[in-house]
Amino acid sequence: MRMLAIIPALDEERNLPRVLESLRRDAPGWDVCVVDDGSTDRTAAVARGLGARVLRLPENLGIGGAVQTGYLWAREHDYEVAAQIDGDGQHDPQFLAAAVAPIESGKADLVIGSRYLGSGGYQSTGLRRAGIRYLSWFLRLRCGARISDPTSGFRVAGKRAIELFAARYPSDYPEPEAIALATRRGLSLCEVPVVMQEREHGSSSIGIGGMLYYLVKVSLALLILPADRRSLSATESA
Amino acid sequence: MTQPLLPPGLQILACGTLLAFFGWVVFLVRSHRLSLRDSLLWILSTAAVFFFTLFPSVLKRLAQALAIEVPSNALFALAILYLTLNVLSLTIALSNSASRARRLTQESALLRGEIEALSARVKELAAERKNVGPE
Repeated sequence: MRMLAIIPALDEERNLPRVLESLRRDAPGWDVCVVDDGSTDRTAAVARGLGARVLRLPENLGIGGAVQTGYLWAREHDYEVAAQIDGDGQHDPQFLAAAVAPIESGKADLVIGSRYLGSGGYQSTGLRRAGIRYLSWFLRLRCGARISDPTSGFRVAGKRAIELFAARYPSDYPEPEAIALATRRGLSLCEVPVVMQEREHGSSSIGIGGMLYYLVKVSLALLILPADRRSLSATESA
Repeated sequence: MTQPLLPPGLQILACGTLLAFFGWVVFLVRSHRLSLRDSLLWILSTAAVFFFTLFPSVLKRLAQALAIEVPSNALFALAILYLTLNVLSLTIALSNSASRARRLTQESALLRGEIEALSARVKELAAERKNVGPE
């Protein structure tokens, strides 16, 4: 099976070497593609030096546009499996093997790595956890997806999910919306437990104000989601 | 209610302003600074406002039909509608071009990736050839 690890990175020259090193060690069968989302530091050069394919966006598109670039590359090059791993070292590639299993056996089209299924590791702050629980509840209410960690950026996509995300991927805090999109499209989702680390260098991209915007934006996006599968494909063909 | 809705002087001033605005839009289209497609809503809505300025009595009847007591309030409501429509069309155009820019940005990253892959392959082949020797 041809497998591609997509690593969106914005100014991650310090975290990338560790991420790429652990990928080589713990996930040797994977091709690695770093999407440089308009970094101002040496992210692209560092990634290239470590042997990764680098897709360098000339402008900053945000995480959604960056990840989609990776899915476009995966579709173009006929990868059967594509994984998303954050460039900040939060996600441990040793969990990739377990996350691919449901796709290999045909049980799922999209696998989400959840830090709340297992135990230990970075569980995020209390306030954020409350926000995540709310999103999880709202996703279940709106489209019946049972996902305990909807904001997780650790994902493994099969062929169908690659096709979908290459054609259409939300921007601006896209994770919960992408789940809704996949569910509405009839893709099967499942979760596997992962342990996440707190990032080593730099701070998380979201503060309190950002979190409020996050919740409002995602709630709105889920609310005005096309009502059913038919209308979704109708808006797409238009 | 006996006095005219629009004093003639004001009517002439409004017509003049609208005509000047219309002329400006046409000028922008002719000099390719505004696409005909984007100018359409401006031209149509300006024509509608022009019509109301020429025949204010229509506005008065409209106000009566909508049970708006002061006709000028109907005018304000229409003006706000006019602006809102034009701003919305502007936002739609903006969203559209943002998603196109996103797609183009991604495409250029993909193409650059392909070029890098190809040039690495070319270097590889050149090195192989060197090792094999000229014969």
